[in-house]
Amino acid sequence: MATREETPKAPPGGLGTAATAHPWSYAAGVLLVAVVYYTAAKLGLRLALVGRNITPFWPPTGIAVVAFLVVGRSVWPGVALAAFMVNLPISTGVLPAAATAAGNTLAPLVAATLLAKVGFRREIDRQRDATAIVFVGALLSMSISASVGTGVLVASGALPADELPGSWAVWWAGDAMGVLVVTPFVLSLVLPWRRPGRPRWKHLEAAVLFALTATVSVVAIGADPHLMFLVIPLLGWAAWRFQQRGAAPAALLVVVVASWAAAKGVGPFRAGTMLENMLILQAFNATVAFCSFFFAAVVTERMHAHQALERAAAGLEARVRQRTSQLSATNLQLRKEIAEREESERRLRQREGQLAEAQQVAHIGSWEWVIPQRRVSWSDEMYRIHGHVPQGFPVTFETAVDQVNTEDATRIRSNAEASLQRADDHDLPNIEYRITRPDGAERVLLGKAKLYVGPNREPLRMVGTVQDVTEGRKAEREHRIAETLQRGLLPDRLPEVPGMALAARYVPAGADMAVGGDWYDVVELPSGHIGLAIGDVAGHGPRAASTMGQLRMALRAYALEEPSPAEVVSRLDRLVSRLLMPEIVTLVYLVLDLDSGTVQFANAGHPPPLVVGLGGQASLLEDGLGSPLGCDDPGLPAQASFRLDPGSTLLLYTDGLVEQRGASIDEGLERLATVAAECGQDLEAFCERLLCSMVEDDTADDVALLVIRPVPLTGRSLLRVPAEPRVLAPLRQTLRRWLRESDADPQIANDVLLACGEVCTNVIQHAYGAKEGPLEISLDLRDGTAEVTIRDQGRWRPSSGIHGGHGLPLIQELMESVELTGGPDGTVVRMRRRVSSGSGS
Amino acid sequence: MSDLAWVEAERQGTICLVRVHGEIDLSNAHEVSSEISVVMGQEARTLVVDLSDITYLDSAGVALLLRLAERLRFRRRQLHLVVPRGSPVRRVLDFTGLPRVIPLESRLEDALAQRDSTQPDDFP
Repeated sequence: MATREETPKAPPGGLGTAATAHPWSYAAGVLLVAVVYYTAAKLGLRLALVGRNITPFWPPTGIAVVAFLVVGRSVWPGVALAAFMVNLPISTGVLPAAATAAGNTLAPLVAATLLAKVGFRREIDRQRDATAIVFVGALLSMSISASVGTGVLVASGALPADELPGSWAVWWAGDAMGVLVVTPFVLSLVLPWRRPGRPRWKHLEAAVLFALTATVSVVAIGADPHLMFLVIPLLGWAAWRFQQRGAAPAALLVVVVASWAAAKGVGPFRAGTMLENMLILQAFNATVAFCSFFFAAVVTERMHAHQALERAAAGLEARVRQRTSQLSATNLQLRKEIAEREESERRLRQREGQLAEAQQVAHIGSWEWVIPQRRVSWSDEMYRIHGHVPQGFPVTFETAVDQVNTEDATRIRSNAEASLQRADDHDLPNIEYRITRPDGAERVLLGKAKLYVGPNREPLRMVGTVQDVTEGRKAEREHRIAETLQRGLLPDRLPEVPGMALAARYVPAGADMAVGGDWYDVVELPSGHIGLAIGDVAGHGPRAASTMGQLRMALRAYALEEPSPAEVVSRLDRLVSRLLMPEIVTLVYLVLDLDSGTVQFANAGHPPPLVVGLGGQASLLEDGLGSPLGCDDPGLPAQASFRLDPGSTLLLYTDGLVEQRGASIDEGLERLATVAAECGQDLEAFCERLLCSMVEDDTADDVALLVIRPVPLTGRSLLRVPAEPRVLAPLRQTLRRWLRESDADPQIANDVLLACGEVCTNVIQHAYGAKEGPLEISLDLRDGTAEVTIRDQGRWRPSSGIHGGHGLPLIQELMESVELTGGPDGTVVRMRRRVSSGSGS
Repeated sequence: MSDLAWVEAERQGTICLVRVHGEIDLSNAHEVSSEISVVMGQEARTLVVDLSDITYLDSAGVALLLRLAERLRFRRRQLHLVVPRGSPVRRVLDFTGLPRVIPLESRLEDALAQRDSTQPDDFP
C-alpha cells in the first residue's frame, strides 16, 4: 500500500530529458504519441459541431496530457506534429494549421506542468487530484487552445467574428471534456494493477455495469431528453464500486454517447440550436465528469482513509498487543521475582530456624561484636548456654566477659587485645574456658573467633561461636578413667618367655560390656621363674575395676619381693583386710620354674586350675585351697606344688567360664574337663574353642582365661631381651633348660652358661653406655655342638675388655671356638662347644 | 634381698662366717657385697666367705670378691674363701688367678684353721 505514495512527476530535466536518455526509444515514444493523437483527433472530429474543426469532445487533448504526464513533456514534438497533421486539412492554410497545432500542444503542456506543480497524482485518488484535473488541467489550461484555435479561425477568415464566443466556448468545452474524460480513462488503463486476486464476481459486476451504462446511455439519451440523468446512478455505482478504474471508462462511454447524440442531433439535441445543444451537452458532460471524478476520488480517499485507519488500527492493535505482551512479560517476571523473593525469604527464615535449632542441638551459640559501635549481639543459644532467657538483656564486650571465671577472663581479654592489635583478617586461637551460670552451675565452653578489618585495616567486627563442651569433657574424662582402669586391669601384652607358650582372653559381661572384676597377669620374676595369677573381684564397674587394679599392682610388687606363692597370697590377704575392700576377692597365684617344671601355688577361694597332660587327661588342682581374700582367716593359706611337664597345658580361668544358668558348678567343671581334653597344638585356637563351647553370648559374668604350656627349647631358639642386668638370671634359666634338653654334659653345660654370662654381662655394661638397647641370643644345636651367637647394636668401648682383661681369655678357655666381629652396626660374638656325644635333636 | 642370692652370717669369736647361697651376677653383685659388709659388722677381724652353696658366679662375682678383699686389707682384716672341689665356681676362680690373691680352701674347717695360724701376725 505504501508504494502508492509515489507521485508521478515530469522528468526533472524538463522538455529534453527523455531524448537524452534513449534517442531511439524517445523517437518511438514521439511517434507513438503522434499516431495515438492523430487517431484520437480523427475520431473526435467526427463529432464536430462548428464547421469541421470545432468539436464538443476533443479526445486528443486528453491523450496529450496523459502522454506528458506518463511519458514526459519531452514528447511534445509528437503532439505538435500530430496536431499539425490533423489541422492542416481542415485549416485555411499551413500557417493557421501550425498556429492551431501550437495552441493544441501548448495547452496540454501547460496542463501537465501545472498539474505537476500542484502535486497531481495519476491515480486521482484524492479530492485535490480531482479538483486539480478539473480546474487546472481542463478548464484553465484548455482556455489556451480554445483562444489560440478560435483566434486563428477568426483571423484566417474561416469563422465570423460574432461567432467567436460560441466557438470559443465549444472549443474550450471540447478540449476540457477531452481532458476530463480521456485523461482519467487512459490514466486508469496505465495504472498498475497492483491488487491481484480480484474476485471473479467483481469482473462480472464490471461487465454488467458497463453493459448497463452503455444501454442506458444509448436508450436514455437517444430516446428522451428527460431521461438523460438516469446514467448518473450508474456512474455513482461505477465510482463507488470500482473508483477511478470504473468511473473513468463509464464517464467516457456516457460522454461519447452524449456527444455523438449532440453531433447527430438526436434525443435532447433534436430541437435546440447549436449553442443550446452545446450548452446542454457540455453541462451534461461536465456533470458526468465531475460526478464520476469527485465521487471516485472521494470514495478512493475514503477507502484510503479507511485503509489508513485500518492500518493505523492494525498498527495500534499490534502495538497494543506488543505492549500488552511486554507488560504481561514484565508482570510475569515481576511475579516470578516476587515469588522468588518470597521463597528466598522463606528459605532464609527456615535456615535461620534451622540454624537456631542446630545451635540448640549442638549447644553452639554464635555472637558478633561490631567494634566501632561497641555493639555485641548474641544468638538465642548463647543466652541459653550462659543460663539466661534468650535476648533477655543487651550484651556488651564487658558484660560478656564478666560471665567468665576470673582466670579465664584474663586470657580472653588478652587474646582479644592481641587480636585487635593485628591489622588483618585472622582467626583467633581457640580458647577453652569456664563460666558460672547465674544458678551457680559451672560450664566448660570452647570459643572460636575471627576478626575482620576494614579497608584501612581498622578492626571492624569480630564474630565467633561458643560451644558448650561440658558434657563432652566429662565424658572424655570418664572414658579416659575407664581406659586407664582397663589398662591397669589387664596386661598390655603377655611377656614372651622362651620355652613357654601363652594365650589369654578377657570377655566382658554380655549385658553391658562394662569393665568387670576379672583379671589375669603374667610376671617374670627376678629368679627367672614365671608368676601366673588369675583373680576375680565380685561385681562390675569402675569400683570393682579399681579394686582389681590395686590388687594386681600389689601382687606384682609382692611377687617381685617374695618367691613363695603362699606368702604373696598372705600379704594380699592382709592388704584386702586392711583396706576394708567390701568385695569378695578370689585368686590363684602360681610360680612356675620352667627349668624344672615345678609349679608352686596358693589358691584363695578361686576355682581350681586345670592341667591337661600330653595324653589329654584333665585334672583339677584342688590342693592348696584357702579362703577368699579379706576373710580374716588366720594363718598362711596352704601352698601346694605339682610338676608341669613340657607339652602339658595349664588352664587358669574365672567362674564365668564354668557357671552356667541352670547348671551346677560341678557340671560346669566336668564339661570344662571334657572340652579341655582336646586342647590341641594351638593355644589361641584352644582359647577360642573354650569360649565358644563354654560361654553363652549374653553371659551375665565376665570371663578371664589364661593358658600356659611349657614347650621344648631344643634345637634352634632365639631370645631377644633388653640389655639390662635383670635379664641375666632368666636368661640362665632358659639356657640351662636348653642345655639340659640338648643332653649337654653338666660340666660342659656349666662352661657354656658361664661363657654366655660373660658375654652378656659385657654387652649390658659396655655396648650402649647409658642408653638402652637390645640383646639377642640365638641358640643352635647341631650334631652335639652348641652354637651360641650373641648380638648387640652398640659398640664395645675400646677400653672394655672382658672384665679386667681376663674376660675374653676366660671365654676362650670355656669354649672351643670364639669369633668376635665388631662393626658400626653392633658386635657379634659366635661361640661353639661340643656339649654331647649324641647327634642332639 | 632378692631370691637370686641370700646371705647367712655366723660369729665365732673374732671370725665372721658368711654363707652365700644362690647365684651371683652383675644384677646382684653389688647387693651381695653390701649385704656381706652389713652382716660382718665392725668387730670381726677375719671374714670367711663360704661359696659352697653358690650355683653360679661369673667375673662380676670375682670382681666383687676382689673389691671385698681390697677393702678388708685396707682395714687390716682378712678374707678367706671356701670353695669345694668340683664346684661350678671353682673353675672361674682358678682361671682368674684369684686364689693367688685371696686364700681359698676347699673345706670350711681348713679355712677356719688357716685363720688361727695367721692371727698372731695381725695382733703381735
